[in-house]
Amino acid sequence: MIQFDVRGCFERSHHRATSCGASQRRLSVIRLRGISKEYDRRKILRNLDLQVDSGEFVFLTGPSGAGKTTLLRLLYAVERPTDGEVWVAGRRVDELSRARLPLLRRKIGVIFQDFKLLKRKTVLENITFVLRIHGIAPREAQRRALQVLKRLGLQHRQAALPDTLSGGEQQRVAIARALAYQPRLILADEPTGNLDADLASELLSLLCDINYQGATVLVATHDHAILESIPARTLVLHQGRVHYDGMWPP
Amino acid sequence: MIPHAIAEGWLLLCQRGAVSLVLALMLAVPISVAGIGLTVRHWLAPMVGLSGQSSTVAILLHPQLDEQQRQRWIADEIAAHPEWSISEVSNDDLATRLGRWFPYLDELVAGGEASLPPMIEIVTVDPESVAILEGQSEVLAVGPRSSIRQALSRASRRLAWGMGLLSMILLAGAVLLAAVWVHLELFRHADEITIMRLVGATERTIRGPFLVAVAIPGAMAAALSVVGTIAASAGLSRLTSDLGLSPINVPTTVLVMQAVAGLVLPVVAAVITLARHATDELEG
Repeated sequence: MIQFDVRGCFERSHHRATSCGASQRRLSVIRLRGISKEYDRRKILRNLDLQVDSGEFVFLTGPSGAGKTTLLRLLYAVERPTDGEVWVAGRRVDELSRARLPLLRRKIGVIFQDFKLLKRKTVLENITFVLRIHGIAPREAQRRALQVLKRLGLQHRQAALPDTLSGGEQQRVAIARALAYQPRLILADEPTGNLDADLASELLSLLCDINYQGATVLVATHDHAILESIPARTLVLHQGRVHYDGMWPP
Repeated sequence: MIPHAIAEGWLLLCQRGAVSLVLALMLAVPISVAGIGLTVRHWLAPMVGLSGQSSTVAILLHPQLDEQQRQRWIADEIAAHPEWSISEVSNDDLATRLGRWFPYLDELVAGGEASLPPMIEIVTVDPESVAILEGQSEVLAVGPRSSIRQALSRASRRLAWGMGLLSMILLAGAVLLAAVWVHLELFRHADEITIMRLVGATERTIRGPFLVAVAIPGAMAAALSVVGTIAASAGLSRLTSDLGLSPINVPTTVLVMQAVAGLVLPVVAAVITLARHATDELEG
């Protein structure tokens, strides 16, 4: 079994969570109520209820077709549910107008399974572009982008185009882009899928650091090695329902 | 995000330089044609309104009027309308004039001079005023009341319609090209646009480069059409001065309209296409 050196993530996260005090209410960053999603009468999600509080680190797992990616797509409003309510960062996403969608998405850092990098832009430009969208001045955007690239060990590839990068490097650029503007919520869809064990460990360590700094992290993965290496709240989806919700390993 | 829109728009334009040039020319030609049409119409307008040219209206009198009655009637009309110049058509010219003014009386003319009714001609600057005679018992028929002013007015109107129609057809083609071009570019950049939306880019950020890429050929078209209209008017002006007519000057309003049309039309086409695309993307 691959061993990831990210135990501190849970410990720090757990310490922070408990240090808030039992009586202190924590804000929910994600709240799903009675969510159902159908494609061509095929039910992907069935009457799903879920709450993720601010500062939590949560794994979302399950077999292929369980609805992990669909759930993430509902959260960043690429899809609308067939039924139910989706609340993200205090906003009801499923009723959000088209004009307000960008504002929601700027609060979420999404790490896509297929990277979704702008192919005509360099690594640095991919990151500065997002920062510019967030209204950050060009010089500051460049400074922040270089900082995050350095953190991910990609500073030497800043002028490269995405197509010239390896899968792992592209994945790290996608991560750098999602982290650059320090979002309150990070959604990661199979973020370690293209990384070797060492890089996957580094990435998880990075996500844990970000979580420790206050961001809520939701990682969709089917990699059991990752789940078993980090004790964190884990949601197991099966046939569109939450089959298990608790610490993993159980 | 304006610098981003300009930079990306310029990039789009450079990637599709030939299409941009064709678009600029396709816009410039109809706008120039419309501008020249309006200029010529503007030039003709005072000539139509203030021509001062006289024209002749033929009047057929009743054949049963004898010489005395006819002369009395002519005298009465001269007294009533001093601005008219009335003259009797001599018997020698009667057949020819009848054939010219009343071609439908060919059979009557062929029948011999004896059967021809007497005819007078009224020269006036306002041929329409002769219509007043139509109800009189002495008058058999009033000939066509065409005038140079009417002819000019008609020509001017036809010119305006013709050139307007031509411009509209060509302009519609150019605007359609702009819309299709934007549509194709949207398809070419579909992945990029999706990613931009996912990372929180607003529609304004996404559309900016396309609008810039269309506005630049639009600006080129505006400049070309203004220059083209001025050059064409100068050429026409040389012709009119050779004929002793006043020079043709392009009114400032026409130049302003051309500049606005060149800039606005392709941008409006792009805005509509982009809005439709955004709706399809988000609702699809």
